Amino acid sequence: MTPEKEQPQTLPDSCEGILNELYAACVEQAPNFGVDSETLCESLRKSVQKFVVGPSNGEATEAEIEKFLKSVKIGELFLALGCSIGNERAWWEFDHQHRAYLERVARHLASSDLNAQEVVDRVYVELYGTRIVDGRRVSKFANYSGKGSIRGWLRTVIWHSLVDMHRASPDEVSLDEMTENVGEGHAHSSFSETELGGEDSMIDEIAKNRYREATVKSIESAFSGLEDHEKLLLLYYHAENLKLREIARLVEKPESPLRKWFQRKSARRKKDPGSRIHESTIMRWLEKTYKKVLQTFSASLVGDFEMDEKEVEICLELATADLANPDIYRNLVTG
Amino acid sequence: MNNKEHTNRDEQLIQNALGAFLRARNGLSNVDSESQHLDEDVLSAFVEGSLSESEAKPVVSHMADCGYCLHVSAELIKLDLAFADEARPAALPEAEPSKVSEVLGGILSRIFGTNDGAVFAHEEKSEDENVDAEKEDE
Repeated sequence: MTPEKEQPQTLPDSCEGILNELYAACVEQAPNFGVDSETLCESLRKSVQKFVVGPSNGEATEAEIEKFLKSVKIGELFLALGCSIGNERAWWEFDHQHRAYLERVARHLASSDLNAQEVVDRVYVELYGTRIVDGRRVSKFANYSGKGSIRGWLRTVIWHSLVDMHRASPDEVSLDEMTENVGEGHAHSSFSETELGGEDSMIDEIAKNRYREATVKSIESAFSGLEDHEKLLLLYYHAENLKLREIARLVEKPESPLRKWFQRKSARRKKDPGSRIHESTIMRWLEKTYKKVLQTFSASLVGDFEMDEKEVEICLELATADLANPDIYRNLVTG
Repeated sequence: MNNKEHTNRDEQLIQNALGAFLRARNGLSNVDSESQHLDEDVLSAFVEGSLSESEAKPVVSHMADCGYCLHVSAELIKLDLAFADEARPAALPEAEPSKVSEVLGGILSRIFGTNDGAVFAHEEKSEDENVDAEKEDE
């Protein structure tokens, strides 16, 4: 779901009532923001195109569009639209509601108070917009759809702006280096590497290479056979070193799709769909996924590479030792 | 070694192997091309859990293949958690709004050393300000 380039489609006639209701509610709450009905509708049309009717989503029913429109954080979108057109009352409200928050986020992320202030200044300039296209100033606020909260969006804008600032600095660092110590999320320790047993010395290089190739192919095949949400869980835990409670945060909301996908067959969920997700639940999801990978991995080694049980174990041990070195992995996948 | 111990050992081994595989695979991800990455609006909505099942599907699918968006989303999850306890903005005090041009002008002058230019060209003076200016001219 990359930024939409296509012209927004017209919304179904049945949505007109909802659009009128949404606009009336906004004007009642914020009569001085200077946003007209057409500006709000245009923004909502773009969002529908992006989230509901986008190329990867296919056709959308009227009911789906209505559901989407009702899910938009309309008050926050209205504020953003007011700011995007340069309305002073909207800017005043934005400044009073969110500036202190922006500064706290910036201080949390930046290495110094000076950098924090600089990034907040930059974000304000971006939000207001310094580019003029076709005679109109382009405000960053126009990119906010109201699908998530405005504060969540602002956190993302601050994060990106800080990364851009670091990239532009003379002592440029990589994205990973730049963000690895941000906040509290320093990597948890990785699994200890299994030491190879005594039989390792007995396996000659030719046999080892055969095992390595089979291992990489089988583990890749096992991973690619997983559902996308299972892949994402493994990647967050192993590649991004997210803690279990951080992953739990992602699925905190009962309506979270990730949570639904993992719990689709769970009897407990049917009983209590809003139950809290604890770290232990995430661990159970991981264990379930490991089992699935182990099954496919072993089946591939036995079926595709005609290995026996002992050889499967050798492959598992080799994988841990070898894949920890990205160079070996690179050589194996490209060679 | 009984069957249960055997299974546990294999599960531990597959965890280790998978972890090593995913770290190595992620290290090879292309993080340079930004043209097709998820935008800030989509990323923040995903991290907050605001996307529906059909809306989240293409996002999850993209992140399973894109190391850059995966990394950004992971950083945003940490940030989201760090600010989870922040209360919603308090009710606004009634006061006369200050000029947006003043707020932004102050920022621009800190950054560029000046606050004039085309950006605020559309900002028109209020009638009161025009009257004040005329008086000053006199």
